Amino acid sequence: MRRFSVLSVIVLVVLALAVGCSPAVSPTVAPTAEPTTAPQATEAPQATEAPQATEAPQATAEGALPEVNVLEVKGDIISAGSSTVFPLSEAVAAMFRDEGYSGNITIDSIGSGAGFERFCTAGETDIANASRPIKDKEAEACRAIDREPIEFRVGTDALAVVVSSQNTFLTDVTMEELAQIFSSTAVKWSDVNPDWPNENILRFSPGTDSGTFDYFVEEVLGKEKQLLLDAQNLQLSEDDNVLVQGVEGSPYAIGYFGYAYYTENQGALKALAIDGVAPNKESVDGGTYPLARPLFLYSTAEIMKAKPQVAAFLNYYLTNVNTVIGEVGYFAASEEVLAASKQAWLDAMGN
Amino acid sequence: MYIPSYRAAISAEYAKPTTAVKLKKKVRISESVIQTLLFLCGAISVLITLGIVVVLGRESLLFFASEEVTLAKFLGTFKWQPAIGEFGIWPLVNATLMTTVIAMLVAIPLGLGVAIFLSEYATPKQRSTLKPILEVLAGIPTVVYGYFALTFMTPLLRSIFGQNMVEVYNTASAGLVMGILILPLVSSMAEDALAAVPNSLREASYAMGATKLETAVSVVVPAAISGLAAAVIIGVSRAIGETMIVALAAGAGPAFTFNPFKAAETMTGHIVRISGGDLSYDSLDYNSIFAIGLMLFLLTLSLNLLSRRIVKRFREVYE
Repeated sequence: MRRFSVLSVIVLVVLALAVGCSPAVSPTVAPTAEPTTAPQATEAPQATEAPQATEAPQATAEGALPEVNVLEVKGDIISAGSSTVFPLSEAVAAMFRDEGYSGNITIDSIGSGAGFERFCTAGETDIANASRPIKDKEAEACRAIDREPIEFRVGTDALAVVVSSQNTFLTDVTMEELAQIFSSTAVKWSDVNPDWPNENILRFSPGTDSGTFDYFVEEVLGKEKQLLLDAQNLQLSEDDNVLVQGVEGSPYAIGYFGYAYYTENQGALKALAIDGVAPNKESVDGGTYPLARPLFLYSTAEIMKAKPQVAAFLNYYLTNVNTVIGEVGYFAASEEVLAASKQAWLDAMGN
Repeated sequence: MYIPSYRAAISAEYAKPTTAVKLKKKVRISESVIQTLLFLCGAISVLITLGIVVVLGRESLLFFASEEVTLAKFLGTFKWQPAIGEFGIWPLVNATLMTTVIAMLVAIPLGLGVAIFLSEYATPKQRSTLKPILEVLAGIPTVVYGYFALTFMTPLLRSIFGQNMVEVYNTASAGLVMGILILPLVSSMAEDALAAVPNSLREASYAMGATKLETAVSVVVPAAISGLAAAVIIGVSRAIGETMIVALAAGAGPAFTFNPFKAAETMTGHIVRISGGDLSYDSLDYNSIFAIGLMLFLLTLSLNLLSRRIVKRFREVYE
């Protein structure tokens, strides 16, 4: 009988471990909810008072966007698209809610391609988030359902190429090396550079429907996605946290994703310099970092007119994005670019 | 006052033997309503199954009818990467079978051991304590098991076999944890099978001078073999269909490998990842997940049919 009770205690301990383990890890593995809550908490006091007071008059002074009275905005907003834009949209949406917006903002993190699919083909979303410009084919699909897409550029991402912080042999790669590392021609690190260890390259890439994947293939692999998809030891996931966890786990792993996911996991990851240029504010603003890319929102004039809440949200987004963009982990677009986006908003609304 | 008169009525009935007895079945409306309802319940589950088969079949027909895909390519090549037109199903099937085999390596010995202990050795008190604990194990959501694999089993494997030997996502960890998940299923079905063996067999065995262990291993287990086989096969189909654990812990890239410490994606894991909201409805990728689903369905269906045959074929009937 005593032996038996010992046994049941062991079973209980194992159970307790199972239960105890999962919450401890969820921050790293399932942070879809994290970006929303984290910025919200810190942003709330700052956002409600400071930006509104300073930004709004400034905007009108420039003759840019009309002031949004968030309290009067009613109705739901549906957006979907890039997982890279997702944390930024979440942060802006959190501010929008803090200012008194009472409707629901849906932001689905499903990849740029899928975002356009839902925006242009299914026609079910109000806003498409994208980490690459809309393709001609997608724009045509949009027009086919009477949606003329309008582009709003909201910021810049520096695509981070990351390795685990346990990795001792890599701090800097050239663009050519990067292409080889992510190609089927190389299996081991030593295949790319004889000075590197004779170990398998463990590759972690966003999935094939992701704008990040498209961008990387276009910029690094010369549009040959076959090279990457044929490679061994390749893990693909639309969930950037799967990639983060995978890269963290081995000194021989390498991956790439939006800079925000690197910022969130800086302790365990190391971002590589490319051609000697590390991703940071200076290199992105100065245009020297080779993998900097624009982030976009897309909507149409019809949607913005029919659903004033969408117009209000976009207005609010363009006006306030720079107060959170640094914290989220991306880089502010230049004044001219933001001004152009604001002008696009004004044109769409017909003022 | 009531009772005497009631009795009087009854005795009056009996007193009149000449009254014709109505033998015709009395029509009870409530009875037939209930019968119809119960029949509908049965019919609905059959219809749903048929509907699933039809949808799976139709969508996978679309997949196989497209120009880029042939059945030969589907079954004859060893690379799955729909985005570049590679449609060999084997990496996914192989990963599914690997996790299943690993899971069964855990679940069969442990499950049968538990079942034999519970039915042959345990006192009623031990039984009544151990069984609910096992059932708790069965009640844990599989997503919890998934994180258990990722955050407990994988680090454990990595500390035993070395960081560079074991990848962060690997089939061994997913399989081992899946074994724990399936353990209660196997053990409770196996225990039922063992408990159904009549006591007279055990007593006969003891009378021949067999020990308790000999009785359990050479008399009770063979007598219950059909039920045990069924338990194992049900466990296998559960393992093939299990999704959350492998989606979280086994890996996210189709890879044809027999190394359990490497990442590989199972059929269910692939469906989960691909259908995670990021697929165009008209694309080949989208149709491909139905083809994988059909493959899964055929696998588990054939296993279930097999288990029925085994039960029939090896069944020992006792009166």
